[in-house]
Order: sequence, then C-alpha cells, then structure tokens
Amino acid sequence: MVKGADIVLQCLRAEGVDLVFGYPGGAIMPLYDALDGSGVRHILTRHEQGAVFAAEGYARVTGKVGVAMATSGPGATNLVTGIADAKMDSVPLVCITGQVRSAMIGTDAFQETDVFGVTLSLTKWSRLVRNLDEIPEVIAEGFYWARSGRPGPVVIDIPTDMLKAKKEFSGPVQFTPHARPVDAKAEGGFTDTIFALLQQSSKPVALVGAGAKLSGAIPELRRLLDTLSVPTFATVHGLGAVPPEAPYYLGMVGMHGTRAANMALHETDLLLVFGARLDDRVTGDPTRFAPHAKIVHFEIDPAQLDRVRPCEIPVIGDLSETIPAFESELRRHKLPDFAGWRSVACGADRAELDPRGLAQPTIRFLDELFSRLPEDSVILADVGQHQMWAAQRFNSGSPRGFITSGGLGAMGFALPAAVGVQLAKPDTCVVCVSGDGGFQMNIQELATVHRLGLPVKMVIIDNKYLGMVRQWQQLFYERNYAETDLSDNPDFVDIAKAYKIHSFRMKEDVMREFPVSQETGDQIDRFLRSPDPELLVFDCAPEANVFPMVPAGAALSEMLLEEEPTQ
Amino acid sequence: MQSFHIRYRNTQGTLMRILNAASRRGLDMPYVQAEQGENDHQVTLILDVNAKQVGQLYREWYSIADVTHVGAGTLHSDAWAGPHPPSGVTIEQQRAAARA
Repeated sequence: MVKGADIVLQCLRAEGVDLVFGYPGGAIMPLYDALDGSGVRHILTRHEQGAVFAAEGYARVTGKVGVAMATSGPGATNLVTGIADAKMDSVPLVCITGQVRSAMIGTDAFQETDVFGVTLSLTKWSRLVRNLDEIPEVIAEGFYWARSGRPGPVVIDIPTDMLKAKKEFSGPVQFTPHARPVDAKAEGGFTDTIFALLQQSSKPVALVGAGAKLSGAIPELRRLLDTLSVPTFATVHGLGAVPPEAPYYLGMVGMHGTRAANMALHETDLLLVFGARLDDRVTGDPTRFAPHAKIVHFEIDPAQLDRVRPCEIPVIGDLSETIPAFESELRRHKLPDFAGWRSVACGADRAELDPRGLAQPTIRFLDELFSRLPEDSVILADVGQHQMWAAQRFNSGSPRGFITSGGLGAMGFALPAAVGVQLAKPDTCVVCVSGDGGFQMNIQELATVHRLGLPVKMVIIDNKYLGMVRQWQQLFYERNYAETDLSDNPDFVDIAKAYKIHSFRMKEDVMREFPVSQETGDQIDRFLRSPDPELLVFDCAPEANVFPMVPAGAALSEMLLEEEPTQ
Repeated sequence: MQSFHIRYRNTQGTLMRILNAASRRGLDMPYVQAEQGENDHQVTLILDVNAKQVGQLYREWYSIADVTHVGAGTLHSDAWAGPHPPSGVTIEQQRAAARA
C-alpha cells in the first residue's frame, strides 16, 4: 500500500521532475512529509509567488515543465499571478495545491479556497482530484497539457485526505490524448501561396516571436531568414532568436522598439509572423497596424489568430514542422531581390539617434554590463523602464538568453525567476535586472538566494520612482506624479547585507565617461565574476525616460523618438 | 444574435471554460442549454456577437482540451435580443409574459 503523497511524487519523477519550488502549509503537509528520499528536490522560497515565478524561470530557460507547490487557501491564491503569467507567456507549468479534506470542501473551512474555480480562466487545464485512484491519470494528463501545443499552466488540487490515504499502486501511467480537431497538420501547399505573395511584394518583413523559440526550430528559422534576407525584427520574447549581427535584423519592435523596426513594420506590404501573438504592445493602434500589409501567420495556437486583424494566410501547426517545411521549399524557388527595400529599412537615416546611449547613463551602464557577459549568459528583466532598456540593449544570439514577464507584466518576477534559472543552469552567468519598485515586491527571495548560495548577479536600477508609470504621468498626465514617488526607499545595500549578500552602489556619473574608466570596468568585471550572489544598486536619474516610445493608442509610425522640450 | 453548438467531453470544468470564453468578453448569455448527447455533451449558447468575436470564440473554444466540435446555428434577429434577468425584467414581468 502506498500513500497518495508518495504516488504524487512517483508520478512527478515519471514525468522527469527532479526539482520543485514551494512553500509548505497545512493541507499540503502530507506531500512535504513524503519528500525526503523521493528523488524530488524541493526549493523553499519565502513566498508562494516566489515559488511559482522560480518554477517559471526554470521552465523558461530549460523548456521543461516547472513545478510549484503550495497549500490550500492563501498558499494557492498566492500562486495566481504566476499562473496568469505562464498563460500569457506560454510557459509549461504545473502547480500542485493542497486542498482541505474532501468532506470539508464547500463548507468554507479554514484555509479553503475554490482554487479550481479561481484559476479556471487562467489555466490551460485543471483538476480537483476526487478520489485516490485518479491521481496517476490526473498527473499524467496535466503534464501532457502543460507541454503540448502552446505550452501553458495546469493546476492540480489535491485534498489532504487523498495525500494521506493509501492504496495499491502499480506505477505511473501515460496519458493518451483523444484526437482533436485542431491537431490537424498545416495544409500542404501553403509555401506556394506564400511564395506567390513574396513575388508580388516589394516591402516584405519578418516578425519573430516566442513561438519560434519554443518550437526549437531556431537553426531552421535562421536559415530561412538568411534565405529571405528581408528586414526582420523580434518581439520582446523573440529576442535572441535572430543573431543581432544579421545584416537584415532591426532589433525589437513595438511600443519601445527601434525606430527602424517600427518604421519597416508600418510600411511593409507583406508581414511574415513566426510565433507571435501580435499583442497591443507590438501593434500599437490595431486599426493602423501594418496598414498596407498582407499577413502570413505561422502559429501553433489557432486561438491567437486574427486577434488584431485578420491574416491572409494562417499557417497553423507546430513551428518545428512548418518552418522547416517552408525553409526547404523556399530553397527550390528563386526569390525576388529585396536589396533595395532592405537598404532603405536598414539604412543609416533610420538608425538610433544615440546608438551608444551617451545621453543616457543607464543605457551606457547596461551596455557595459552586457558587453562583459559570456555568450551563453541569461538576463532576466523585471517589469518597467529597466525592462525596456534591457530589452533594447540585449545584444545576444542566445535564444533563451532574455527572460521577462512580457505578456502579464508582473512586477516582482525577475528575482525569484532568477532563482529558478540559476538552479537550472548552475554554471551560467545569470543577471537579474530589476527596478526599485519591482525588487521590493519579492525582496524576500534574497533569503532563498543566500540559503542556496546562488551566484545570481542582481542589479537594481534605482530611480526612486515607479519609473514607467511616472514616465506616462509625465508625458500624458501633465506631470501629475500620483503615488509613484519611492524616494523613501530603504537602502538596498544595507538590506542585502542583512541577508549576508555582498552589495555595492554605483553612481550614474561614472557612466558619463566613454569609454568608462578602468576602475569602473574592473568593478563590473569583479561583480560578474564573483562566485557568490552579488547586488549592484545603480543610481539612475529620477526622470530618465525610455525612448523610442509609441504612445498608447498611436500607430507605430507615431513613435516619440526623444523627449520634447518642456516649457 | 447567433447560436452556437459546442460538443465536448463532460470533464471537470470544460463547460465552465466554454462559458468563460464568452463571459470574459463581457457577452451576455441570454440562452444556455447543456445536455447529454450520444457520445458526448453539447451546450447551445445564444450570444450577441460581432464577426470578429465569432472568430475569436470559435478558436478559443477549440483550444479547450475536451471540446470536440464547434458549430454555428441560425441567426436570431430579435427573439433573444430583449432584456433578460436579472437586469432587464422583474420576475413579475417574466411571469406575466409567460401567462400571456
């Protein structure tokens, strides 16, 4: 006879899980009691939100399913933001929550929450386990849905009595899915249609999103883009998919994308989309998005099509199949020469106004930091101005090298996610860039970093404001800085010391020299090469702004390139 | 008004996910009927939707794990367009209408 908790852990092992993140509590105690000797390592975070973000970080950098555990009631509700984040950003995630005893469900028992109901609209699939016998099937099916198609979050809610009860157990099972209508492969012949559109086009462009990276078809995608050689740009989650040195690559597109990328997207007559949702941060005003373009949309999830405007050619299917099929077919055709259009789109007159960021010390700092990183480093960005600066300055061809909460925009994401990334990649340099607002949202995870001795390199861009909100207040609310002032921030250096983490402050003035002084360079190098956790607090000008910027509701062509002089 | 017929395996939460696809868009649901079919279940919904929402709903319903088929029925011009409880009519009005 085997306890339900042991069955859960054996089923997790069968799914390849050896690391879970969580926080114990009453209803999930039987599962914690069974952890020892199970082969599943548990990472204790200091908050359930930290656990789910850490599991996300692990999943985002490895492509494996991340697992988070929490108890019933508040433990489970603290997972909700991470679950929503995983849904938006297509992260394979399984959350296992304890629930009150079966007999108490629905009675508003202590620490009872309808977790199944609360998370229903945020999950790809979920189950409240109703009897002990179904645990193996539920776990197998949950992992299947977390991984399959467009990856996403799954919740498995297990009443505590099921975890304690015993039964005969013959071992984990495999889930065999029913055939589904959307499992149909992309129709053959789409390459001919796309080729015909390319023949008609004079200004084609390619947009690369997260789906291209999730598919694993990066080599094929890069060969395809080399063959096409059309102006190409990426969403924030597509960064790293295209080598930055590619002559046709224009960087990030969207609200804070590059001038060249946004202009090309506005002017194009044929938009090839590879695994991107085309959300409003990418499109700007949807009614004026790529107004002259026909759209070819490579996408695994039909639910993502036509959200902004109809596409002419949907290519539904796993990009690991459709991209290679398109790439090999395209090589048989002679493509038109797009050199003229490419030279316009990539021309010097569309280059950044301040490519070295000389007017903006924070950008200079990020350039210095990123230029000293090993090639396979992973950069995590929290949410806000620093996130956009980091995305703009990210200059690596590492497909999983830039991780951020892009869809949900959940402040507090980066630090716990960095825990998961560093555990997954112990020998990789992991840099966590946060703002002073977001860092305080999960600051307690400094304890996790310290306990595990993770050599995460934490950076706080400290402008003593909720900077992105303040920027919008400045530009669109007549400088009414309502409740964005954080000038009474604690001293982050002292706080890190209290967690026994080495930390230091860097003034932005040291970045006004170009190149930076030997001393400053050495300081950054020492920070990055330290075998221990480190925190660097970078003092940023309080009213520094992120440009270019497409104001909300504007077309991509209406981006603000720099600050307008104030009266 | 447009009717939709969605077939699904009656697993935990599947009907709720189908309804949620409509409710998250702020759509009223003046008519919902779920029933057991030969091999699966079917829910019929009547919704006031525009063409763009029809496409989005179709694809979102298909992305639900245990949905097996999505079909559209007839257009209902006004049969379901009137006010509906709880906001539109009182129970007394409903009863009076039923008696008439």
